[in-house]
Amino acid sequence: MNSQSASAGVAAAQNAPRAWSIEKRQRFWGWVFLSPWIVGFTLFTAFPIAASLLFSFMDFKIGEEMHFIGLKNWQTLVTDPITLQSLGVTIKFGLIALPVSILFPLALAAMLNSKHVVGKPILRVLFYMPYMVPAISGIFIWQSFLNGQTGWLNRLLRLIGFVDPPNWLFDSAWIHSAMVLIGLWGVGNAMLTMLASMQGVPTELYEAADVDGAGPFTKFRKITFPMISPVILYNLVLTTIGLMQYFVVPFVLSSTTRSNPDTNFINLHLYRTAFQFFDMGYAAALAWFLFAIGLLLTIGIFATSRRWVYYSGGDL
Amino acid sequence: MSKNVVRVMVVGLILALVLGALPIAAQDKIVVTWFVGLGTGTQPEQQAIQDQVAADFNASQNEIELVISYAGNNQTAPDVLSTLIAAQTPPDIVGPVGVTGRNQFAGQWLDIQPLVDATGYDLTQFSDALIESYREGDALVGLPFAVYPGLIYYNADLFDEAGLNYPPTEFGAPYIMPDGTEMPWDFNTVAEIAKILTVDASGNDATMEGFDPSNIVQFGFDHQWDTIRSDFSTFGGAAIVNEDGQVVLPEYWREHARWMWNAIWVDHFMPSATYINSDLFQPHAFASGNIAMTRVMLWYTCCLGDLDANWDLAVIPSYEGNTYAPIDLDTFHIHKDSANPEAAFTVLQYLTGEGALPLLTAYGAYAGRPELQEAGIQAKAEIYPSVNNWSVVAPSIDYAPIPHHESWYPGFAKGQQRFSDFAAVLRGDAGADLDIDAEFDKLQADLQAIVDEASGS
Amino acid sequence: MAGNSISRSVNTSPFYSRQLRGFAIKALVTLFAFMLLIVYLLPFGNMVLISLRSSDMLALTQDSSVLPLIPITYTYEDKEYPIVEVPTDDGVQQWALVKKGRQASQFIDPANPDAGLIDWDGNWRLLSEVQEFSPYFENYPTAWEAANFPRMFGNTLVIAVVGMIGTLLSCISVAYAFARFPIPGKNILFIILIGTIILPSQVTLIPTYAFFASIGWVGTWLPLIVPHFFANAYNVFLLRQYFMTLPRELDEAAMIDGAGPFRILTSVIIPQSWAAIIAVGIFHFVFAWNDFFGPLIYLLGKPELQPISVGVQIFNFQYSPHPELVQATSLMAMVLPLVIFFLAQKVFMRGIVITGVEK
Repeated sequence: MNSQSASAGVAAAQNAPRAWSIEKRQRFWGWVFLSPWIVGFTLFTAFPIAASLLFSFMDFKIGEEMHFIGLKNWQTLVTDPITLQSLGVTIKFGLIALPVSILFPLALAAMLNSKHVVGKPILRVLFYMPYMVPAISGIFIWQSFLNGQTGWLNRLLRLIGFVDPPNWLFDSAWIHSAMVLIGLWGVGNAMLTMLASMQGVPTELYEAADVDGAGPFTKFRKITFPMISPVILYNLVLTTIGLMQYFVVPFVLSSTTRSNPDTNFINLHLYRTAFQFFDMGYAAALAWFLFAIGLLLTIGIFATSRRWVYYSGGDL
Repeated sequence: MSKNVVRVMVVGLILALVLGALPIAAQDKIVVTWFVGLGTGTQPEQQAIQDQVAADFNASQNEIELVISYAGNNQTAPDVLSTLIAAQTPPDIVGPVGVTGRNQFAGQWLDIQPLVDATGYDLTQFSDALIESYREGDALVGLPFAVYPGLIYYNADLFDEAGLNYPPTEFGAPYIMPDGTEMPWDFNTVAEIAKILTVDASGNDATMEGFDPSNIVQFGFDHQWDTIRSDFSTFGGAAIVNEDGQVVLPEYWREHARWMWNAIWVDHFMPSATYINSDLFQPHAFASGNIAMTRVMLWYTCCLGDLDANWDLAVIPSYEGNTYAPIDLDTFHIHKDSANPEAAFTVLQYLTGEGALPLLTAYGAYAGRPELQEAGIQAKAEIYPSVNNWSVVAPSIDYAPIPHHESWYPGFAKGQQRFSDFAAVLRGDAGADLDIDAEFDKLQADLQAIVDEASGS
Repeated sequence: MAGNSISRSVNTSPFYSRQLRGFAIKALVTLFAFMLLIVYLLPFGNMVLISLRSSDMLALTQDSSVLPLIPITYTYEDKEYPIVEVPTDDGVQQWALVKKGRQASQFIDPANPDAGLIDWDGNWRLLSEVQEFSPYFENYPTAWEAANFPRMFGNTLVIAVVGMIGTLLSCISVAYAFARFPIPGKNILFIILIGTIILPSQVTLIPTYAFFASIGWVGTWLPLIVPHFFANAYNVFLLRQYFMTLPRELDEAAMIDGAGPFRILTSVIIPQSWAAIIAVGIFHFVFAWNDFFGPLIYLLGKPELQPISVGVQIFNFQYSPHPELVQATSLMAMVLPLVIFFLAQKVFMRGIVITGVEK
């Protein structure tokens, strides 16, 4: 699609008056390169999004006729105790999981980019490998791994002297830690993006720092971090959005280990509302409520990014 | 990126678009879609049998083409089905579906009474009671197909090892203790012998001094994969909502909740959630060989091929002199917006008639249709030579608690979730410190709120 | 290298000891990396071992070995019995346990079966079984056949590769627009782009499905492929971030040489961004490889079109789970993406060279 529009663009540009200012021409090309998304958004995305917004003002029970009920779903939202409770669970978990989801892949990427490590090609494959495990199979494995009785983790802990290791999946005090552990297998993409970004840091910068006698941590802080900060920003935004929509792990856990208030994340609540209780209207209101929060957080992160994200190509 | 590559891709994309937009080759036959996944029917062995039944049906006539849609597993199928329904592209036939699936999608099923009348289909071949269970008000939403009576499965090897007699195979028969005393076969006796059948890693059983509940290797009893309403219903069936719209759960359900709590946390003969999900219970529950007795329905005979032990069937124990054996019922439904209800009804007759026997065998069911019942049991007996007591299956049907343990009430889906939360708390890590009476009161109050909300709107 | 030679001339310490120190650091850091890897992959080891058990070997207590061990058995009167180590007055004997009992059990001596059953008083659960290492590889062929691997592999490959091409073309283009061109309202547009992934997809599923059904795409691969030709927020965002780290000097130099925006993209931006582009390609490939619900719902009733992700789930049932087959299937399904990832790394490495030289 892109190439089609691009070649169409070439033709158009050739016919365009030479007198176009650079500014105008750049704008024109901007729209040309943007067009695949504009077209795709109009064709595939805009309608479902608009429809879901409409649903939030409807009494829409799956399998029944829908009708307009104004703000009723939104009123329910404010008073539904489960919504607030599950939002609380999501925020509480997010505050633990977010730093881990950024720092762990960052450390891995730094390690896998280090000139001191031998065997990087195989290490990269093996550290990325868990990300390729189909999600549901992976969660099954973690369920087995974390079982309080026969799980490998507790067998190991007993072996090294912990008499009474945690019951990770069934103890409210530990379930979120268990989910963070499960989440460690999901950092492959973040690691890869950071690694890709580190590969792009010009080597002269490090050589110059060597001349200045900078240590590895100074180099990381002064060179690596600023140079990869755009990708950190990317991961921060996506992880935040991902945590707002945290679903698969609590869904699979709660269907086999049964429900527990601490695994009732807001997106699981939304899913149940939509596909178990068939209240698509209310689910749509919940979704747009989540959207509003996610949007505010995203804009907030972008607002702070001016202070710590460095673009070599200049920020437009 | 070379220009050639780009060109090839553009052409490929256009080709794909054109091919996709082409209408599916015109067919003279009416296509009837059969949606599988809401209940059993998605295992590879079952798929093969269903595919064969569909092929046989398609070969038997020229008007209808039956196409099967497998919707993943029990977790994904309801989502797929609700998406199809909401997008107004519902399947024609859905099944096999249990009572829960039927109630989950209450209001979606076609009343087939007019089709029965029009085609002169003979309903009198079934008992009135059985037909009644497929009615919603005046509407008939399905034909009797599969029944799965509630049973006790026991592992005879574990009874032998403990030197205990096997559970009785006749209703009303006593249980004979090793010393020869006769005990009534009730839930108190179950608790007694289940404790002996519960063993820790050092070989102490749950009646002994040094028994270690933190390292149990064999359990005496389980309500397997409990939907807690069916567990409760072993002490008697009950409606959730009375005529005045009040949720009044019976005292005998509270009694059973206490029995379970004791079994899990005091006597330790029933597994907690941690044990159920541990490797001790792999590949699943009773099939692990580490449970002496389990209460579950007949459909579990689907899945015991890997159990390397002599196992057999017994009758469900009684409560205060009466026995209640919660039963599962499966059938096929036609969706109310099916484009071809007559064709779908023809298929429905085939699936519950000519094609029924292989399907019933695949699902591990007892036939709703009397003339198929003997053949169905025969088929099972060939698969499981260690089982002698097939005779307990038929009479257990008559002990099904009324109302059914999956019966509908306002706010059904939310209410069932609330019941399942109760089970989670009961078996979860904090269960040991639970005030079971307070928890039961909370269940009742929450159900009332759910029912009120559903009735109010 | 330049840094090295400078410091060597300044530093007077012997060359070999410095080399030794460098070697020691390498060894330590590498050791740490591999130890971390082992811990990180412990659950993966669990996965592999589960796939090497037959279903009657799955039940384990917390004291049993995690390795696939099975008891050595002895056949007595047509039945197999496990051999255990029995302490007796004549030392420890390896006897087959025939009849288990709580206080006393009966054994047979495989060396002397004609002697008949031997009574032994004691607790058989405290006896240890004589076991042998016996991985069960049958799960792999079983899963291979049941999941119809060759056909599903082919389907997945087409869906993943065509979708990947679409993703790369469209996302590179759109990210380039966001990174380099002064489009009015660009920040708003970018927030809209990100916004499309903030809205939980559960509520857009039904209208999306209804739309594809209405244009006749349900039952074909089109809903799984075509939308990827129109860019998505995840990858546009990543590429935009990456493009924005590229200095503009080279763009400007190319522009002065008369290169148009398209030439600048293909000859300046893309060659500097291979690492990120390969990353996006891998992301899409892995996503498409494991995407389960999309193919399930859009290819309902079309088993001949379904990809491997649907096959991976065929042993996953609530009431008759086969964890050993689920894991064997998952492991087999991962082989191809792993190989592709391994090969793609080479391009990663090339990425450094290009950027290092050109800057």
